[in-house]
Amino acid sequence: MAKKLKRMSIPIFLILLLGSIAMIFPFVWMILSAFKTVPDVYAYPPKWLPSSWKFNNYVKVFQMIPFAKYYFNSIFTSTVQTAIQLFLSVTAAYALVVLDFPGKKFLLSLIRSTMFVPIVVTLIPLYLLVSKAKMIDTYAGIILPQVFAAFTIFLLVSFFSTIPQILYDSAKLDGCGYYRILSEVVIPNSKSPISTAMLFSFLGHWKSYTWPLIVTNKATYRTLPIGMKYLVQESSSEYQIMMAASVMAILPVLIVYLFFEKQLVKSITLTGLKA
Amino acid sequence: MKKATVFVLMLALSMSLVFAQGSKEKAVRPEVVKLQVWYAISGASGEQFLALAKAFDAARSDIELELTYSGSYADTATKVSAAMLSGDAPDTAIMAAGQLYTGGRGDYSMEALVKDPSFNVNDIFKGMLEYGMFEGRIAAVPYGISSQVLYYNKNITDKAGLDLEKNPPATWAEFYQIAKTAMEKGNVNNSADFYGFDTSDGVWLFKSMLGQNGNEVVRKVNGRVQPVYQETSGVEVGKFWKSLIDANLMPAGQHNNAEKKFLAGNLAFIAASSNRVARWQGNTNFKLGAIMMPGFKNRSIALGGNVGVILTEDTFKRDASWELLKYLLEEKNHTSFALSTGYLPVRKSAQNGEVVKEALAANPLYKIAFDQLDNAWAYYHFSEMGTMDSFFWYALDEIEKNVSTVEVALQKAADSLVKEIE
Repeated sequence: MAKKLKRMSIPIFLILLLGSIAMIFPFVWMILSAFKTVPDVYAYPPKWLPSSWKFNNYVKVFQMIPFAKYYFNSIFTSTVQTAIQLFLSVTAAYALVVLDFPGKKFLLSLIRSTMFVPIVVTLIPLYLLVSKAKMIDTYAGIILPQVFAAFTIFLLVSFFSTIPQILYDSAKLDGCGYYRILSEVVIPNSKSPISTAMLFSFLGHWKSYTWPLIVTNKATYRTLPIGMKYLVQESSSEYQIMMAASVMAILPVLIVYLFFEKQLVKSITLTGLKA
Repeated sequence: MKKATVFVLMLALSMSLVFAQGSKEKAVRPEVVKLQVWYAISGASGEQFLALAKAFDAARSDIELELTYSGSYADTATKVSAAMLSGDAPDTAIMAAGQLYTGGRGDYSMEALVKDPSFNVNDIFKGMLEYGMFEGRIAAVPYGISSQVLYYNKNITDKAGLDLEKNPPATWAEFYQIAKTAMEKGNVNNSADFYGFDTSDGVWLFKSMLGQNGNEVVRKVNGRVQPVYQETSGVEVGKFWKSLIDANLMPAGQHNNAEKKFLAGNLAFIAASSNRVARWQGNTNFKLGAIMMPGFKNRSIALGGNVGVILTEDTFKRDASWELLKYLLEEKNHTSFALSTGYLPVRKSAQNGEVVKEALAANPLYKIAFDQLDNAWAYYHFSEMGTMDSFFWYALDEIEKNVSTVEVALQKAADSLVKEIE
């Protein structure tokens, strides 16, 4: 039996190995390209290793943009946005699952419908609001308009609905109010989906380009994606500099991922969602 | 009645005093005029622009610049549109199609500014000046201007036995045969994904081709802009375009990958912006060549790029913005910007300058872009020209992918534009 299992696991192992290589390939390519020259980046057949290692690509990144400032701004805005978004999503999802109130279905549809409105449609009205509120060139201007996300609300609604009613009822019998049910029953039982929502949220904010660009003019408030865009010209050929910046930019996302890896894997098995 | 008349008169008097006071205050120029400048130029070109703008800032104690990178051309258009609606618009901007904002609101103050004797407007290439026009009037000044150049991979043409330095094609029909030969005999990489020709910007090239075939793209009839690209001369261009696809010389719908393919050595010819001269020279794995664009009835070259536009309506800021634009367009400054970025010099006098002569000697590929300047052409600029480009894009995509015939695709694009204008 053990031998049979071993024999069966070899092809599975090989398939998984191939899958892993396919997943890792873009990262390896990015890291190696960050040290290449322009001809090396475009060489055909592709060159794996740089013909000469150009550490200067990293230096150029720091020369062309205030990388450290942009990096801090990205980490700060993404973290605050994620925290607020999670708070709003958890409480909203909890209310939508636990409470019965008139117009609940309508409210759900309304929240859902916001997922189908492209950013370009809301961009200018949102900008006008932010401008009226004197929030142009402020962290608040970047953060606040982006903290409401229907996707994370629905992700959590779908999970909170699967928590057995008996748990809610028992908590009520024990004298728990809505706040304690949320903090002592719902959240402890939803670590995995909340981690997934957090990762989705952080990734979305980390990559966010258009809104921070529109709402900021001063380098003091600008984020990394704007700096990255500045590194390349219209249809530019200097990808090696952008790759060097990307290598540095990817670190916080990797850290967040590694920190929540366990919860995330659990969540994938529960919800079937992958980040 | 009397009381009411006195009240009205007093009110009028006090209002006029208030306004007089206001206008008096307005008339005093601040010691330092602060200018918000947005620019849609990035990478190495952005660095060159910044260096010049900072030099101006340092040299002028009466003007202070706040420089903001505003993203790609499309991002900048969104940013400026939003900012104009809320009153947060920059005072001046270096952006694509900036004249749509000033000309669109009937602001042609640039017409008076360019008459400044120290600017010497007659020294600007005619086609380039036209590039900053809106409905036939100057509403912006040209800045980062480029034209498309036909680049080629010398390793491929050498292998195919083609000598383009001696025998460059003058017409697209001649080019068709050359691209075919290059395709048949020049596949140096033995790549299955090898093609004779492509362009990184199909819409831009198509517009040049229309001009070359005597088609004006759009025409103003009875005060209204009308598309003409669906007419016979436009259909002829479309059919030539289709013939490149049918002969498998150009891949269908892959223009976004054209530059990557060319730099990888899997494309013999590419029509791309003249600013690639500065970026590609010495950075390719093959010998790079360039020739003038072939033509049909003539060799018109549609210009592309960005313009300098003054968006503020404040007199002092407008004057300060003009000082900045004038500085950026001084022969010495603009030539240094042009030569280090690959954009074209906008001043005729630059061509005879020592700096340009030296640059041409060091990099003969520049000569091609410079030689084409006499054919520079800007079609009639109007409010919906950005939308027209997207209709062109759909039309070319349909032609290339055999979704519609050339006639149907161009007619559809024309009808859509008419609808948009209406």
